Parts: sequence; C-alpha cells; structure tokens
Amino acid sequence: MAEIVAAMALTHSPGLTGWFDAAPVDQRALALEALGEMRLRLEASRPDVLLMFSNDHLLNWPINNTPEYTVGIAERHVGPADWYDEWLALDKYEVPGHPALARHLVNAGARQRLALAHLRDMQFDDGISVPLHYLNPAMRIPLVPVTMNCTVPPIPTPARAYEVGVLLREIVRAFPGPERVAVIGTGGLSHEPGGPRYFWVDEEFDRWFLDLLKAGDHAALLRQCTLDRMEEAGSGGTAELLAWILAMAFTTGPAEVLAYMPALAWRSGTGMVVWNNLAA
Amino acid sequence: MGSVDRCDKTLPLNQMMFHVRRDRTLRERWRTDLAGLAHEFGLGAAEYEALRDKDVRRLHELGVHQYYVPQILRLFYGASANSNAHPALEAYKRAYPEESAQALELQARLAARGPKEG
Repeated sequence: MAEIVAAMALTHSPGLTGWFDAAPVDQRALALEALGEMRLRLEASRPDVLLMFSNDHLLNWPINNTPEYTVGIAERHVGPADWYDEWLALDKYEVPGHPALARHLVNAGARQRLALAHLRDMQFDDGISVPLHYLNPAMRIPLVPVTMNCTVPPIPTPARAYEVGVLLREIVRAFPGPERVAVIGTGGLSHEPGGPRYFWVDEEFDRWFLDLLKAGDHAALLRQCTLDRMEEAGSGGTAELLAWILAMAFTTGPAEVLAYMPALAWRSGTGMVVWNNLAA
Repeated sequence: MGSVDRCDKTLPLNQMMFHVRRDRTLRERWRTDLAGLAHEFGLGAAEYEALRDKDVRRLHELGVHQYYVPQILRLFYGASANSNAHPALEAYKRAYPEESAQALELQARLAARGPKEG
C-alpha cells in the first residue's frame, strides 16, 4: 500500500519565475527562503512520487468542456507549454510521470463515482511548472499532476474539494505498491487574474485564511471559507486555494505557515505552508 | 458571484483563444490576418472590434473570460518582462482607473510599511 509522507501548499504565480525581480528585495528573500525550506522538507520525506494538485488555466481544456478534475497519466511530462515558456522565463523541462499510480487514480475514482478526466499529453502552465522549478529542480522525482477547474463557472465549493481530497487520500493509500507519496497543492492566495482588480491582493483575506489553516480545525475552515468569500477576495483566482484544501484533506490539524507576502508585483498573495500531521 | 461569472461560455472569441494559445500557426495569423481569423471562428462584429481596439472593458462586457483578456494583450504586445508597467497592463489601468488607483495606493502603503511587517 502506498504511504503519504508529506503535505504542503504554495503559490504558483508566474511572477515567481517570470518577473521575480520586480518584487521588493525583502519579498524576494522571504520567498526564496520559504521555497528552500519546503524543498528541504520535501526531500527529507524521501518521496517516490509527487502528487501535485493545481488548476488548468484554460490550456488543456476549452471553455465549452472543463472537467472538474484531470489526471496526467503520461510516462514523461514535458513543459512548459510553448505559450508559457517566455511568460514564465523557464527552459523546457522533462519530468518522469508515474502512470501506474495515475491510472489507478482514474480507475479507482470511477469505481467510487468520482469522475477524473485524464490526459496522456497534459500541457503545463504556471500551476505545475513554477512549483516544479523550486521544489524538484533536477526533475528527478516522478510527478502525477491532477488539475482542477476553479476558474470557469460553475466553480466547485471548498466543501466539495475537501470531499474529493478525502476520497483521493483513500484511493492513493489503496494503490498496490510501496510508493512514498508527497502531496502538494499549488495556487492562490488572493488574486484576480485578468479581472478588474488584476493588480490587487486582499491581504486581510489571505492572513485570515492562513490563520484558519494555523488553527487546524478543518470543519471550521470549510464552514467559514466559502466559495463566495474566496470570490470576494479575487474572482477566478483566489479559488485556486481549492488545491490547498485538497492537500489539507490528507492531513489532520494545523498547517505551519512558512511565509506570506502581499506580493503586488507578482499580482498574487503569495504563501507557503506545510502540514506536519498527516491523516492516519 | 464574482466578475468571472460574467463570462459567456458560448462566446466564439473564448473558443478562438483556446486554439490560438495552443497553435503557433494561428498566432502568426493573429499578427497577419486578425480579421480573417476572427471570421473563421465566427466572431460577431462587436467581438472583433473590441479585440482589434484592445478594449479591456468592452471585452469583459461582451463575456470574454477574464483570464483570456491579458492573454489577448500579450498577443498584441508580447510577454517579455511582464511587470505591472508593461504596455499590456497599462491598457488595464485605462479600463479600470478606480480599481487600479486603489491598487497603487495599496502598493504605496505596503512600501511605506517596510519589510519587517511584510
């Protein structure tokens, strides 16, 4: 049976690689320190595979057909997509997949009435590329990417994301192999990509959300942090935090907040957290 | 309900943007024959004119998904060093002066507060 060995979450804003130097020096230093710490903790957990939850930025699926969740099942993944390489200022990379685990997710999900679309040629935008750059720079640890739709209405609720996270946790554990699996949620915090408040971040929301994570009462977080509250804090972007909620479902209790920055230059509330207690 | 709920999922321009971002040939057509490309994807006159005029506010009002709007500007202006001072983003500031002014005020407040509390 597979084992969950780490759970963490971080912002994936394209500014973290594409125009990193546009932010004030203190924010850059804080981000690099936290990302370095995340990488150390990830490596210390000795994962055989990264299960990364992110969101599709209208790249893999057209607006007339946006599955709630999609699993990348390829033997090898290549990114960033052509449209994103200049934007992210990243060279092309290739990272091994883990098709056995990825296909297990799709098929076991179906048996439990969880519809997971899948792609053999998933394209990668900032959601996967930026975290890989910082956390798996040698592209050595195999990746199973799971993207969700959190930007084309109807957007799933946080309660739904948690429910799916719990299901996925049980499905991963039931995988017939000894793999050590690290779970990473990417996205958020407050931002409104392309909306009227494109240059804004909602620091008050971000700190409130991080405090809820630190308090560690998952049910209370789900009661208070509704989809409407996320949308108020940045429409079509803040709901990327659903990926954090998926990761939270693999844990119990509080998260440790490594860093937070209201990074206007990167056009996103920017944060990094680690959960130290994994669900039994 | 946030601003993203204003998108018209059936708008031809939303479909066109999906394909243009994934296809280098279509991106070249964007530069050389935008009117022809728009016609092939079935854009209406208002959609095409808002696109041609890089009219951020009108694109939103017509139901273009808001994530696609900066991407439309990228296709016109390029992506290099996409800071908040990039010409593509100046178009946003013109479209939403009130929201942009609030963001600038926030930026000034954060800068004044200094790194220790950041």
